[in-house]
Amino acid sequence: MDLTGLPTVTPTDREAVVRCLREASAAHTRVLVVGGATQLDRGNPAAVDLVLSTRALDRVVAYEPAEMIAVVEAGCTAAALRDLLRPHGQEWPVDADDDATVGGLIATGAAVPRQLGVGPLRDSVLELECVSGDGRAIHTGGRTVKNVSGYGLPRLLVGSLGTLAVIVQAAVKLRPLAGARRTLVAAGGLPVALGWLRSVPLATAILVHGDTAELRLEGWADDVAAQTAWARACAPDAHVGDDAPFPQAAPWSHHPVVAEMSVAPSRLGAVLATAGCDAGGLVGVGAGWAGLEGAAALDRLRRRVESLGGALPVVRGPGGLGGTLPAPAIHRRIKAAFDPAGILAPGRFWGGL
Amino acid sequence: MGSRGGAVAPAVALPRDVAAALAAAVGSAWLLTDPTALHAYACDGLTGWRALPRAVVLPASTDETAAVVTILAAHGIPFVARGAGTGLSGGALPVAEGVVIGLARMRAILRVDLDDERVTAQPGVTNLAVSEAVAALGYRYAPDPSSRQVCTIGGNVAENSGGAHCLKLGFTTHHVVGATLVLADGQVVELGGTALDPAGYDLLGAVVGSEGTLGIVTEVVLRVIPLPPAVRTLVAAFEAIDAAGEAVSAIIAEGVTPAAMELMDRTALSAVEAAVHPGYPSGAAVLLVEVEGPDRRCAEEAEQVIACCRAAGATACRIAAGEGEAARYWRGRRAAFAAMGRISPHYYVQDGVIPRTRLAEVLQAIRRLEEEHGLRVANVFHAGDGNLHPLVCFDGTRPGEAERAEEVATRILDACLAVGGSLTGEHGIGRDKVCQVPKQFTVADQMAMHRLRTAFDPAGLCNPGKLLPTPRLCGEAPGIYRPHPTELRGVADRW
Ligand SMILES: Cc1cc2nc3c(=O)[nH]c(=O)nc-3n(C[C@H](O)[C@H](O)[C@H](O)COP(=O)(O)OP(=O)(O)OC[C@H]3O[C@@H](n4cnc5c(N)ncnc54)[C@H](O)[C@@H]3O)c2cc1C
Repeated sequence: MDLTGLPTVTPTDREAVVRCLREASAAHTRVLVVGGATQLDRGNPAAVDLVLSTRALDRVVAYEPAEMIAVVEAGCTAAALRDLLRPHGQEWPVDADDDATVGGLIATGAAVPRQLGVGPLRDSVLELECVSGDGRAIHTGGRTVKNVSGYGLPRLLVGSLGTLAVIVQAAVKLRPLAGARRTLVAAGGLPVALGWLRSVPLATAILVHGDTAELRLEGWADDVAAQTAWARACAPDAHVGDDAPFPQAAPWSHHPVVAEMSVAPSRLGAVLATAGCDAGGLVGVGAGWAGLEGAAALDRLRRRVESLGGALPVVRGPGGLGGTLPAPAIHRRIKAAFDPAGILAPGRFWGGL
Repeated sequence: MGSRGGAVAPAVALPRDVAAALAAAVGSAWLLTDPTALHAYACDGLTGWRALPRAVVLPASTDETAAVVTILAAHGIPFVARGAGTGLSGGALPVAEGVVIGLARMRAILRVDLDDERVTAQPGVTNLAVSEAVAALGYRYAPDPSSRQVCTIGGNVAENSGGAHCLKLGFTTHHVVGATLVLADGQVVELGGTALDPAGYDLLGAVVGSEGTLGIVTEVVLRVIPLPPAVRTLVAAFEAIDAAGEAVSAIIAEGVTPAAMELMDRTALSAVEAAVHPGYPSGAAVLLVEVEGPDRRCAEEAEQVIACCRAAGATACRIAAGEGEAARYWRGRRAAFAAMGRISPHYYVQDGVIPRTRLAEVLQAIRRLEEEHGLRVANVFHAGDGNLHPLVCFDGTRPGEAERAEEVATRILDACLAVGGSLTGEHGIGRDKVCQVPKQFTVADQMAMHRLRTAFDPAGLCNPGKLLPTPRLCGEAPGIYRPHPTELRGVADRW
């Protein structure tokens, strides 16, 4: 999305966000919430009048390592959070660009490369402070890992692309940083990847792209050694990279259009086999990315993915979200409940919400 | 709606045409209107609250459920879904002017699909039956409430139920990938079920834990996971419960995530030992820990756990020698609620959550309350995730004691909230804690939840009076959200 020429407000506290959205709702000013601006292509094209930047909301609100929960404002960057947690041997396992913000990551709900081992992003969001489109400060969830008081509103806000509310603060669940981290790379593509899925217990991630399979192992050194031995049984020539990044390669990212796929795990092979492009998939999860040249290729792949019951939103370049909404009337009522004036990036969400 | 203790008023019979339509939808054998039959549905596991429904309907399929709801919606009759009725917050308490829709007949496992590690089940299937259906294939369904032999998957989804093993493996919400939902107007929608990130807002995430207020779940797609290669179960006894709490914090700080960490205090232990003879080492508190994973790692973690317990002052540590001994230790923990009958005629269970590091402080507050009110409180808890189950013991035949027990229970939750905790970790708000919701959520927060509810159920027929407080239930207490009449008509909005 192109934001050049748009006025930007940069509130420094929640009350300022409340004022801004009340005024915007009253004046029907359409607002795009922006964090690190790393995911602006995600979503359908939406005309807006004003940019609300969360960059000045970047404080650490509470961090007690023994609780393994960090509470930060939405504009806190992935890099800043990483630096905060690393000395305590902890991480928020979302694998994001340094500039991405915590609020932005939650609002996009992007697929996490290590999801097989660490779970999806939505499972790590415990509490959200947000401001709805009509300027009400709302607190959802709670600062404990276990909590069933009230509705699971944080889940509804994860992936809502800033169309329901502006997230101003989040409590996220952390995990211990693994002592040993290793990426194995082998030839053999999907068959090797599936072999690993079956025979390597507790793999952190398995990625396949083209003829290459990558296995991510994280844990105690002994376990990783044992897992490596299992993995070698499937792929004797696998190259082992200690402390190497994961993924090692992301061929899809060199294309003008990048789409993120989500299908049932067992359908991933079928999608990758027919993708006819640089694509990568997370085995056992059913998520992946495809690098495409343009609208025709996107259309073809999207039809294929949707026919298998999946979704293929574009995350870079033009092409929007595609897809059809289940229960559209409920979706419309939820949008109207949180953003009655329809000022939060109208049209950006699935189904034109 | 519903009353506490005492006699239960008979419900007004359904209009004839409605009864006839319901009977036609499910077969007349599955429409219960006889008062003696209805009494069996007057309460759930929170037996102090009772109400008689006007009827109980027992549909056998999604289509029949949709037909039943369509009929009730057309007549503006509220309804309450019910699984096994083991809920502990009055979630399945009937609405006196409404109908109970029991899902007990829908107990088929429809599909086992190990390529995707999923099981599709009807809502009346018991929690344990899901694990049993895949055990021979080397899989299990992870969330394991102590009531797993009887409670249903539909009830689990509605309550976002937890269990001892949720510390490592997550709660119900982490294991549900799809659901078929009959909406409050009788429409049927499918949420998720194939891709993990389907188009749209995460409606499935909102439905899990919604206590039957957003629709009736008639089919669920669950994630199953491989059985662990190895398991070690161990128990440690302590002279003081605070020391056991310290051991819990130390274990987590070591970077070990046990599958389960359960703590019981002296009062709970005396009941459990009398009831099922688990043979725990004796002490003022017993910590039951289970670790699982690859064989060697499992053995190492068990050693780490024991080291932490010893450092915190454990007087005895035992690793179960085999499955028999492990099962015996677990039997003690699982029987804890039922065993309370041995030491007290009645008890009131709470389900507060606290940040793990505040355990000692909150236990002290509970002790003070015991002394002040002259009632015993037994403590059983999911220590790893700070979920307390204080059991307030009382004798309901003594005048005023039930009220005092409730007062203690309420003050315990206040103590949980005071340290940044929550009213409930797994049992739900239900009817029980509905009037305490304003202590945890502001009017604006409640309003947001109310609006989510009306997005699913504009007419307010689906389990009304649960989860969110209303002036009718709780009086004109401060902090309760009341929709303004104009707001209800959708013509005005307020800040
Ligand atoms: C001895 C004992 C031990 C327990 N241990 C635990 C424990 O360890 N962890 C834990 O989390 N809970 C525990 N519980 C509480 C209880 O078992 C759970 O809340 C369980 O999920 C309830 O299931 P049920 O089938 O009995 O539901 P019910 O009690 O029948 O209903 C519970 C709620 O779910 C709704 N509901 C039921 N079915 C559906 C459906 N198909 N669609 C929509 N809504 C529906 C009802 O309206 C109600 O609001 C325990 C209870 C007992 C009695």
